[in-house]
Amino acid sequence: MIEVNNLRKEFKKTIKDPGLKGSIKSLFHPKTETIAAVKDISFEIADGEILGFIGPNGAGKSTVIKMLTGILTPTSGTCTINGKNPTHNRKNYVREIGVVFGQRTQLWWDLPLRETYGVLKEIYEVPDDKFKERMEFLNEVLELEDFITSPVRTLSLGQRMRADIAASLLHSPKVLFLDEPTIGLDVVVKHNIRNAIEYINKKEKTTVILTTHDLADIEMLANRIVMIDKGSNVFDGTISELKSKYGQIRELNFDTSDAKAREKLAYVKQFKTKKEDIIVEQEGNMVKVRFDSSIVPVSEMLSYTLGKIKVNDISVKDADIEEIIARLYKHEVG
Amino acid sequence: MSMDLIQLFKAYAKTGIKTRFQYHLDSFLLSLAVFVREASSIFGVYFLLLKFDTLNDWNIKEIFFMFSILSATYSLFIMFFMVFRDFPDWIKHGDFDRILLRPRGIFVQMILNGADWVAALSHGCISILMFILSANSVGIRWNAGSIFYYLVTMISGTVIQGAIFVFFSAFNFYFSKNHGIKEFVFWKSRRFATFPVSIYGGVVQNILMFVIPFAFVNYFPAQYLLRKSDMAAYPEYYMYLSPVIAIVGFTLAYVFWRFSLRYYQS
Ligand SMILES: Nc1ncnc2c1ncn2[C@@H]1O[C@H](COP(=O)(O)OP(=O)(O)OP(=O)(O)O)[C@@H](O)[C@H]1O
Ligand SMILES: [Mg+2]
Repeated sequence: MIEVNNLRKEFKKTIKDPGLKGSIKSLFHPKTETIAAVKDISFEIADGEILGFIGPNGAGKSTVIKMLTGILTPTSGTCTINGKNPTHNRKNYVREIGVVFGQRTQLWWDLPLRETYGVLKEIYEVPDDKFKERMEFLNEVLELEDFITSPVRTLSLGQRMRADIAASLLHSPKVLFLDEPTIGLDVVVKHNIRNAIEYINKKEKTTVILTTHDLADIEMLANRIVMIDKGSNVFDGTISELKSKYGQIRELNFDTSDAKAREKLAYVKQFKTKKEDIIVEQEGNMVKVRFDSSIVPVSEMLSYTLGKIKVNDISVKDADIEEIIARLYKHEVG
Repeated sequence: MSMDLIQLFKAYAKTGIKTRFQYHLDSFLLSLAVFVREASSIFGVYFLLLKFDTLNDWNIKEIFFMFSILSATYSLFIMFFMVFRDFPDWIKHGDFDRILLRPRGIFVQMILNGADWVAALSHGCISILMFILSANSVGIRWNAGSIFYYLVTMISGTVIQGAIFVFFSAFNFYFSKNHGIKEFVFWKSRRFATFPVSIYGGVVQNILMFVIPFAFVNYFPAQYLLRKSDMAAYPEYYMYLSPVIAIVGFTLAYVFWRFSLRYYQS
């Protein structure tokens, strides 16, 4: 089990005055500014769980992952995996984890992919027979065969990501950290990677901590979501909890031949709401109205709209998770 | 334990050499460039000595011998400590993060990971060349004692240079930007160490003995083997001090480095 307790990280940044004089001055009297990238975050992850760790750019996700994997020393607070602490017992700790940073590779760039696994075998002291078995398994799950003899620098992004995930799993870690494992990948590869993660989680009971900006990853994989913003925890729970907590958002879709529909529908004035509570988009004949049903009941919305303009086809649906989270990021709800 | 270290070393050396092999021409040109640069500084010494005959009682052969110690230890230094020389790049490209994620000693990985085989080979060739040119004509009696001393000199010299870079690289944990100070200090000192320390003024001498202790990489060890008259200016025991300086210097540098690691910002 992973326990994170009041984890905090502050970065010191040196501020430099412009020009040569500034850089000489900063060399001797560096002016520093402290920014708290992660502010006392706590959460727990049970064995075998897949945790979706989300938040807008700069929220502090990667910083948390770096502390959980022992790369950064926390300013204060602790994180432990099964009681082990990365700063006190690095070697034993990292033996139990696998890490992929989607933006970087851990593969030997200039060599055929196969060589990377050979070196990792020595680093993690995997016995020959175990290694062979493991490679066969990873090959089956991540389909490495087609490119295992190619130099890493010639691999496509999708191939590289599969190879990187395989590298992080070679030593059969108990916990797998994936920082944006689907960044920049096409739909098919994303799908493959999600399947592989799910399969490994099911088969080996590997705990997975995953950060991503693609909420489809989360919807498909995560049992639970932890959302942070500006370094603080803003949500911790399951997807259905998220939906019921913030899921009052509805989407009204209709088809109209009235080109001035948008101007005629004065929702904000009618319902006396804030501008951002009702968002209207029109694309040709199709109009989309997003509103919060706890502020404007669906029935009132419908009767007002139908009374104002002539519509052909109308429907109301629940907002999907993508929308809820987009609004959370923009501080529109919560 | 030591068996699997050897295993690990083999794995890293294999990848290191294979990587270099991918770029035959690059590697060849690079080693040629290093060789030419080193050779040109040797010619510099040669022409200088044509004018003066001897420098503080050191003739050209003796200076070549001293130079061969410098090149040999530098070549070994690059094989083991290159990562510390290029540390800012390592941090910038996230390679150091990778090291922290692996269940092996941080120093072990850095030392095994970094060998720049091409440059090591060029410096190695220079040193062997200089050694062949000088070793048999400078009056050294090569017996078990002197060979042992020579081997200890190799190790101490390598470790002293390693300590200098380990120490300076620790500052990269505090300032991610590389100000080029360590390169400047190191290369200047190494330049100075081409000649007997005794020819310099007091400030430079003191720096080379006690701050950036290059004098103990090649000058004092060469003195033990050659016994030149300018040694009279220094205490006799300086000729035996290199291993001590290596051990003490490296320990201090290591402790400082480990301490600084906690300030790593990735
Ligand atoms: N090494 C560092 N030095 C100084 N500041 C840093 C460093 N690393 C991160 N930060 C700052 O900490 C904050 C959090 O960054 P972090 O990379 O953790 O965000 P993130 O949630 O991973 O964002 P993204 O989704 O864009 O990857 C940012 O404001 C960033 O500028
Ligand atoms: Mg990130």
